[in-house]
Amino acid sequence: MIVSVSGGKGGTGKSTVAVNLAALLSRDFRLVLADLDVENPNDHVLLGAELAGERPVNIMLPFVNYQKCIKCGACGRVCDTGAMLISPDGLPYVIPRLCSGCRSCYFACPVDAIVEGKRTIGYTYQSEIELGESKITLVTGSLREGEEHTPPVVLAARRRALSVEADLHLVDTSAGTSNSVAAAVDGSRLLIAVTEPTPLGLHDLDLILELAQTLGIEAWVVINRAGIGPEDDHVRLVRERGAEIVARIPYSRRVVESYIRGVPIVLHSPDSPEAEEFRRLAEMVREVVS
Amino acid sequence: MIEIAIASGKGGVGKSTVSATIALAAARAGKSVVAVDADADAPNLHLIFGVREWEWERPYVESKVAEIVQSLCTRCGRCREVCPYEAIHVDEEGRFVVNQVVCEGCMTCSLVCPERGAIRLLSAESGRLRRTTTSYGFPLISARLNPGRPNSGKLVTEEKSMAKELASQDSLIVVDSAAGIGCQVVSSLAGANAAILVAEPTPASFAALRRVFKLTRHFMQPAGLVINKYDVNPEMTEEMEAFAREKNIDLLGRIPYDDAIPRSMAMMRPVVEAFPDSPASKALLRVAERVLEIVEDWQSWFTRFRPREPEPYRPIIIRPEGLQGV
Repeated sequence: MIVSVSGGKGGTGKSTVAVNLAALLSRDFRLVLADLDVENPNDHVLLGAELAGERPVNIMLPFVNYQKCIKCGACGRVCDTGAMLISPDGLPYVIPRLCSGCRSCYFACPVDAIVEGKRTIGYTYQSEIELGESKITLVTGSLREGEEHTPPVVLAARRRALSVEADLHLVDTSAGTSNSVAAAVDGSRLLIAVTEPTPLGLHDLDLILELAQTLGIEAWVVINRAGIGPEDDHVRLVRERGAEIVARIPYSRRVVESYIRGVPIVLHSPDSPEAEEFRRLAEMVREVVS
Repeated sequence: MIEIAIASGKGGVGKSTVSATIALAAARAGKSVVAVDADADAPNLHLIFGVREWEWERPYVESKVAEIVQSLCTRCGRCREVCPYEAIHVDEEGRFVVNQVVCEGCMTCSLVCPERGAIRLLSAESGRLRRTTTSYGFPLISARLNPGRPNSGKLVTEEKSMAKELASQDSLIVVDSAAGIGCQVVSSLAGANAAILVAEPTPASFAALRRVFKLTRHFMQPAGLVINKYDVNPEMTEEMEAFAREKNIDLLGRIPYDDAIPRSMAMMRPVVEAFPDSPASKALLRVAERVLEIVEDWQSWFTRFRPREPEPYRPIIIRPEGLQGV
């Protein structure tokens, strides 16, 4: 079963919720945590762990066999990113930076003049992490600095995570609601949207709940940093979107402290009210998974 | 015209707060300024300025999505095999369907489909471009991406060219970029004269700072650093500042943790307007004043903080074996 943690706005506490749920739920389930925030993966930082088992994420990069090319221009016509430039003499040239690796040119070429090379746009990792008395597998996707196209890295990391047998695959996504987030959460039984009680959090919560609705995924809402602002509009929005507010994590220095130390708060300060709220949330997720 | 991009790698560390303060301080000082919210995936700058209506708005159509015509589909499955985005599913009734919030519209599926016309291309509205004049007297350009559409660097580039049309020769353009290091951020940084990096002293934010800093070097940009909530972890603040000195990043200031910032957000007003005497407001205004000094005396700052050596982006390319002369 896949359960996703997302939220729209950046910095609302998606990763905090994901690592604390992982720490608690791994006591009962074989658990894989998939960090699919490939532009800025930091679950390993929050868990005080090292990334291991690096594998490149390669996408197709076309090369042209000019001995075969008949200058028909078909490759240039089907390229939707402008990566296949047709020169005035009719020969195609590839601009690697613009290529998304979709292979359209390869299939469009009538004479097999497009040859498959590759470009490394990111990496995936797989780390085994001990968390108190249990352990989890963390799979991380990371985009190379300078590369721009995230979906192939998200999908590669997701595939790697799903290839590890587990009772629960917990997915942590990036901020936003783009197709990278949609690809990350696709097929989830449940989407936990983490927000904060500000108009900014509210605005982006609306977008992620809309995405969950489109994908037909049940959504739960966690209000993080509860107490820093009014929540009336959040309550109204969540009701309108047919979702439910299931937990409120109070703002506290202890959360910040555990964040800085790289230890989930449920292990760092198990007796705190924040840890108690995470245990309550984990219990609800446990019932869904069981 | 000077264009500065505010970036952080990590979300929620204070980019929009810093951007709003700089734009507002410039306007108060009588400087012509245009603000650009380049985070189309989660646009928030307008909420800080209390914008409720747009003076101008239009749809931005860039993306395409595939659709399978069920009456022509023979369910051979070729489309599903080649889709680079895993956007094609088989539903309960065995039909091949495109998940349109994942599809990027590359149309590779249509090229391998043996049935003529069984896969067609639909135009999808990517999002909206909009513009208004804030109640503080300067224009704000913003964009909003529809949920499930591909992130778009082109949308950011379009916003920036709109800003340039509104700007005059001595205007300041403030670009509030998205979280991350992907296409939106690359397009925000591309062409900017300087980058202002915002971080908080946490390991996650420090890791993101190093990543986004690398991008500023690809663009040969001088960079400044603002450390937000510096007092939650003074030791790491020191480490970050040491990193900045080592990399020749200008230290523009430290902002203390202050709940005046979330309280001002609830009021939909910039914190320096809502709580001008709060510690965070004072620190933010000092940063903004420093930025305005830099803009006024651009050449000397640029000379001091520009990167010495080019560090261009180098793609990792694996050539096909046995292909000669390409």
